[in-house]
Amino acid sequence: MRLGRDFRPVKGSPRMLEVARAERRELWTEAVGELPPVHGERWTEVQDRRYRIFEPGRSKLAAAVVRGWAGDLPAPGERWLYLGAASGTTASHLADLVGPEGRVYAVERSVRPFARLLALAERWPNLRPILGDARDPLAYSAIVPPAAGLYADIAQADQLEIVLRNAEMLLRGDGARVLVALKTASMGRHRTATGHRDSAEGALAHEVALYASVSLEPFHRGHFLVGGRWGRASKMPARDPSRPTLPLGRRPGRRAR
Amino acid sequence: MRPTLVVGNGPALFLSGTDPAHLLGPFPLDSDPKQAAVRFDAMARSDVPTRLLSALESIPVGVTLVASPPRLARAISECVGRPVASPSLEDLRRGRAAVPLPDAALERRFFLALGHLRLERALRAPEEVLITLAREEERVERSVGREARAADSFVSVPDSPLDLHLVAWDRARGALGDLEDALRRTVEKEAKTQVPNLSAVVGARVAARLVAAAGGIGALARMPASRIQLLGSRRRPSPERGPRFGLLYRADRLADVPIGRRGAYARSLAALAAIAVRVDAHGRRDVSAELVARRDRRVEVLRRRRR
Repeated sequence: MRLGRDFRPVKGSPRMLEVARAERRELWTEAVGELPPVHGERWTEVQDRRYRIFEPGRSKLAAAVVRGWAGDLPAPGERWLYLGAASGTTASHLADLVGPEGRVYAVERSVRPFARLLALAERWPNLRPILGDARDPLAYSAIVPPAAGLYADIAQADQLEIVLRNAEMLLRGDGARVLVALKTASMGRHRTATGHRDSAEGALAHEVALYASVSLEPFHRGHFLVGGRWGRASKMPARDPSRPTLPLGRRPGRRAR
Repeated sequence: MRPTLVVGNGPALFLSGTDPAHLLGPFPLDSDPKQAAVRFDAMARSDVPTRLLSALESIPVGVTLVASPPRLARAISECVGRPVASPSLEDLRRGRAAVPLPDAALERRFFLALGHLRLERALRAPEEVLITLAREEERVERSVGREARAADSFVSVPDSPLDLHLVAWDRARGALGDLEDALRRTVEKEAKTQVPNLSAVVGARVAARLVAAAGGIGALARMPASRIQLLGSRRRPSPERGPRFGLLYRADRLADVPIGRRGAYARSLAALAAIAVRVDAHGRRDVSAELVARRDRRVEVLRRRRR
């Protein structure tokens, strides 16, 4: 396939193109909705298809790809659950990646960002907004079908508990993808950023076979994207639900250096 | 015996038995997706589809009924007069896997209707009204101030074209000022009803802005006084020489304190404000007289004390 200018397909992601620039890769996703831009991003047309630039500074998912994300990405036709969608910048690109046959169920708790998410969903046909709290997946379990993947970007101290609770209830089953954008700054100051990442990976490893983890520097300071497949945890002991194994709340103590 | 489970797929409910092949349904909440969203959101007794209830009647009494979310379980329990439990994780997953996917167009309209419904209700909540009003009042005040400063920089000769323009512009600014006054009165009225104690301590307008900056009354009530003191300040706090006030700079009675003592006053005021907002958030008792007295005593002390 010959594309115009310097556009090249991205391996394993049919709805994404890249342009290799001298300084860094530039990513584009094929738009599911219509103009105007969702958040002021550039649009372009390549072989009669409209693409939107996917900026690493705006989106942690884009930053992960630019930083050499080793895991796979949402594929066309899949249903994804998105926790912490805010006003829908990344959610709209995730919706682009799963394409018109896929679905993105986007959960957001704050009212004002949700208003923008809802306005976006009005013109983004495969986006399903939910005003609700990700801490209570039972409340929306009746309206979200089993999902092929879960993307979480919730800057909360108990974010991994929230992710696991949603994953076990709403994911399709073994092999479903779990991507977690970690904001270590909101996980307390008793560990360094990498310490938080390591402990988060350890906590997830009980239920998720991790396959990729990248730092999102310099686009998002102190952030990581960690991903894996649900239910293929091999040698780790199963998590005992009566005993929380995640020492992830804020703890008093010395600030990590 | 495995329980019988009621699961949803958005606009419709399904009944799943021991064997997922024995799936009954769909029982649409309503033929119109908009109404289905209203029913799903309310999920009162009258919202459970009648056909689902008659299907439930054929289930022997020995079988446990389970349903989710909890509101649906409660509604069904009221209808059939039997206890309806919450499903185990395994049962929920089994039932969800058995249910067919909803029609795409129907599902989309259902979600958008549900979103609008919930958004509108959230925005009508008194607390959100206060936050939105306070933010808008802040914005209008800033723009009125900017216009006033801009107008001051013009010098014009009487009856010149510029002068005629400025006269017209003055009139427009007057109207804008009236609008600002009206908005301020509304904000103050809202603040006095919703956070009466805090309004008494720092003034209604500052109280409204504090709530807006914190993102809610509950959020403000959970803040330590030291954070309330600096809410809305632009500079970075530092141990050596950080900001002393944020929004509290415009609190009542700050002007009565000598300039060098205002930082000390802001600290005490923030402590009183923290108490006041906690009472407003939880107790709703009127402690304003006591807090105001303590505030005024503090003003007097700071006025007398020499540096």
